[in-house]
Amino acid sequence: MEVNWTRKDLLSLYDLTPEEIVLILDTAEEFKKVSERNLKKVPALRGKTVVNFFVEPSTRTRVSFELAEQRLSADIINMTASSSSLQKGETLLDTVRNIEALQADLIVMRHSCAGAQNFIAKNISSGVINAGDGAHGHPTQALLDLFTIRQKKGRIAGLNVSIVGDILHSRVARSDIWGLIKLGANVTLAGPSTLVPRDFEQIGVRVCHNLKDAMVGADVINLLRIQHERQRAGFFPSTNEYARFFGLNMENAKYLNPDALIMHPGPINRDVELDSALADGPQSVILEQVTNGLAVRMAVLFLVAGCLKK
Amino acid sequence: MPAKRRLCNSRKMDEAIEGVADAIIAEFSRKGGMDFAFIGIQQRGVPFARRLIEKITRKTGFKPEFAMLDTSMYRDDIGMRATLPVIRETDIPFDMNDQAVILTDDVLSSGRTIRAALDAITCYGRPSLIRLAVVVDRGSREFPIRADYAGMNIIPEDGKKILVEFKETDGSDGIYEIDWSNPTKGE
Amino acid sequence: MIEKNSYILKGGRVVDPARGIDTVMDIGVSNGRIVDPGKIKNPEVIKVKKLVVAPGFTDMHVHLRQPGNTTAETIATGTMAAAAGGFTGIVAMPNTSPPADSAGTIEYIRRHTELYGVVRVYPSGCMTKELKGEEMAGIGGLKSAGVVAVSDDGKCIQNHELMRHVVEYSKSFGLPILDHCEDAFLKGEGVMHEGKWSTLLGMRGISSASEELMIARDIILSRMIGWKIHIQHVSAGESVELIRNARKRGIMISAEATPHHISLTDDSIKKFDTNYKMNPPLRSEQDRLAVIEGLRDGTITVIATDHAPHTATDKLVEFDYAPFGIVGLETAIPVCLTELYHEKILSLSDFVSKFTVGPAEVLGMDFGTLAEGKPADITIIDTEKKFCVDASKFRSKSRNTPFHGMEFRGKAAATIVAGRFVFDEIGQ
Repeated sequence: MEVNWTRKDLLSLYDLTPEEIVLILDTAEEFKKVSERNLKKVPALRGKTVVNFFVEPSTRTRVSFELAEQRLSADIINMTASSSSLQKGETLLDTVRNIEALQADLIVMRHSCAGAQNFIAKNISSGVINAGDGAHGHPTQALLDLFTIRQKKGRIAGLNVSIVGDILHSRVARSDIWGLIKLGANVTLAGPSTLVPRDFEQIGVRVCHNLKDAMVGADVINLLRIQHERQRAGFFPSTNEYARFFGLNMENAKYLNPDALIMHPGPINRDVELDSALADGPQSVILEQVTNGLAVRMAVLFLVAGCLKK
Repeated sequence: MPAKRRLCNSRKMDEAIEGVADAIIAEFSRKGGMDFAFIGIQQRGVPFARRLIEKITRKTGFKPEFAMLDTSMYRDDIGMRATLPVIRETDIPFDMNDQAVILTDDVLSSGRTIRAALDAITCYGRPSLIRLAVVVDRGSREFPIRADYAGMNIIPEDGKKILVEFKETDGSDGIYEIDWSNPTKGE
Repeated sequence: MIEKNSYILKGGRVVDPARGIDTVMDIGVSNGRIVDPGKIKNPEVIKVKKLVVAPGFTDMHVHLRQPGNTTAETIATGTMAAAAGGFTGIVAMPNTSPPADSAGTIEYIRRHTELYGVVRVYPSGCMTKELKGEEMAGIGGLKSAGVVAVSDDGKCIQNHELMRHVVEYSKSFGLPILDHCEDAFLKGEGVMHEGKWSTLLGMRGISSASEELMIARDIILSRMIGWKIHIQHVSAGESVELIRNARKRGIMISAEATPHHISLTDDSIKKFDTNYKMNPPLRSEQDRLAVIEGLRDGTITVIATDHAPHTATDKLVEFDYAPFGIVGLETAIPVCLTELYHEKILSLSDFVSKFTVGPAEVLGMDFGTLAEGKPADITIIDTEKKFCVDASKFRSKSRNTPFHGMEFRGKAAATIVAGRFVFDEIGQ
């Protein structure tokens, strides 16, 4: 049974069926090949206009999207909050309607408010791709994580995947959780109890507050960046304490299977959530995540752009 | 189920494919050597290419190399159709530069798929020569593209399409005229 | 508006819980008062067979926005919305601009109500100056100006010592306290209920503890001082339990619930539709059922809408930035009839009392019954009429409702204030 992509937007993995997720991964396989050959460009999005509207700033994700768009031959505009009239008090909706009036086909948007892209997508006819909304979701990051795992392990279903760190504030964690559950993985969350709410158990995810439990038997371990603002806000006492109890280091790595994958969405706080040696070691697939991110974003842009406008 | 009328059984289809293989052998023997590779256009150009390779190998002992090409990323109608085509596998295991290449597809109609395939091929290198082989040439060209080798020429009735089925992809061989606008029970 | 001076409402089911009446009978109206139908000469006869005839409903929690934010609502449009919703009286909240913390603003409201109001408006006054929660407002002066209660609605006095003084002082003027119970720190920057859904959606949550803590505070002060504190918009199950136990002990605590808290829950936030954003937020199914149980067992004696109009411009923004609040006057009766009466949780008499006897008791006022001699404030309800909510037809200036497009069973058929029909859909 062939799956067709029929969505005008990509907002959250929560909305997608497992078949749709697999379609994106399969499509990404082919786009990965494009990036590996000499001429890294295809005309698929030629003549299409894509606006990268990063209301919340980003370097890595924006560059990844930009490169993906260029390889698809799209025309690109980059906008940030400060370079837009949001500065002058224009509402988000008005700003985006102006972008739509310039015949933008796709808007790749990052915003610090959860649901901002859902709100915008409902009110404009251009396609909206969520590049991160508050702590709610970062679907393309989760998709590249799934792609990387599938490539290395041959499957997702039945794998034990642990996500470690500040789950509470992490959009990457939430999208990963939805994607992994839908494709049949066993998910474990680990971190300080102030940052890993037990509510997640209600959707079939295991929650533990010590790292060793998350490591034993894991096929994949995904470390999340710990943010200093959280420490200032009182969620944990110090970076040292976090690193001591929840950082993956050369001593506790012994609890990890030698063929377990070590992942991180980046940028890494070396020697806090992850020891340098492990970040650069044979189990680490961190750089491959970045490469795969390009292919996954090309696939997402291709699929969403291919949908009839309403 | 759209209405489906069989035009050709598996034996006649095989004869047509044999004819294409013979024509290819004839041309390349004349030119100075059996040295070419096949690129099968997804989806049904692929089994067609494999059949030709099998026949040519059997008749001449030369086994041409085989590649598969999906043209979805090169189409000119992205965003215009109700559903997107699924991107199938592209695998080109040889160096395209200076290579003589025979493109294969099941049906030649408007010529747009071939145009997309030509674009795709040139992204991989500079072939010395590109030929086109199809099972059925059905006319109604929209682009100035011709088939160098065609198994047969069939002009279907207005509004009807030609469907070529292969055992490998569809369970059995056959060439059909198909009416998508008038769904009834199929044969 | 239809002008009738003397008429008989004939053949309706009169439900008057204050007098223990639930029977088919005629009601006579003359010169703005309820009279013996037999004593009217040449009355006009208005047939209300199969309709419920109840004392005029009062909504104890309405934001009229005037003075100050007249783009969202005015006294004129707010009272028209009330009339269309079946309400003959509303208690206006004091968080206007300027806030109702002085006699001057109350006077303004009373004058505008007289000129443009279509139903009775009972103003409330602020507990603290400018709602800042720092200094007591001139509560005595507000009483003289005509407020029926005091409230800092929208905010909550965090300083318990100050709240104690306010309660004590208000008691001496006989003014009940209407409290929006919320601990400002626990509420923080929350935008929805803190629970499973705020965790899954990655949004900041408002813990039920925020409401529970201040309710406990109010119970203690009410007990200490012996004065009426009315808890507004109860949303959490644990809150209901606190109130239930306090009332069992005879403490002068009362409570109200909104139609949206008994019909909607926090999972609706996954749509990111700001028409589901209000404070206190929609909570879990468990909380919703507990609030319903509170209405059923008499812990909660009042239903009030917390009608909070906002312009579309204000609400069409990122969820985090949208103001809290939804309109409710024109959907209250349909939603509550569907969820409480038709679900057989409340008898018709109990249902009616939540809008009549309940508010009258809290405010210590003399409305909410159809006894002879009383002002003819009457609410007529068709309990069976199918009603599909169409926000574009609201009399309110604002359209911020989560119920647009939803179907309910039952609605107000007519609203009568001092004998005058201010809303009439009888027979439609």
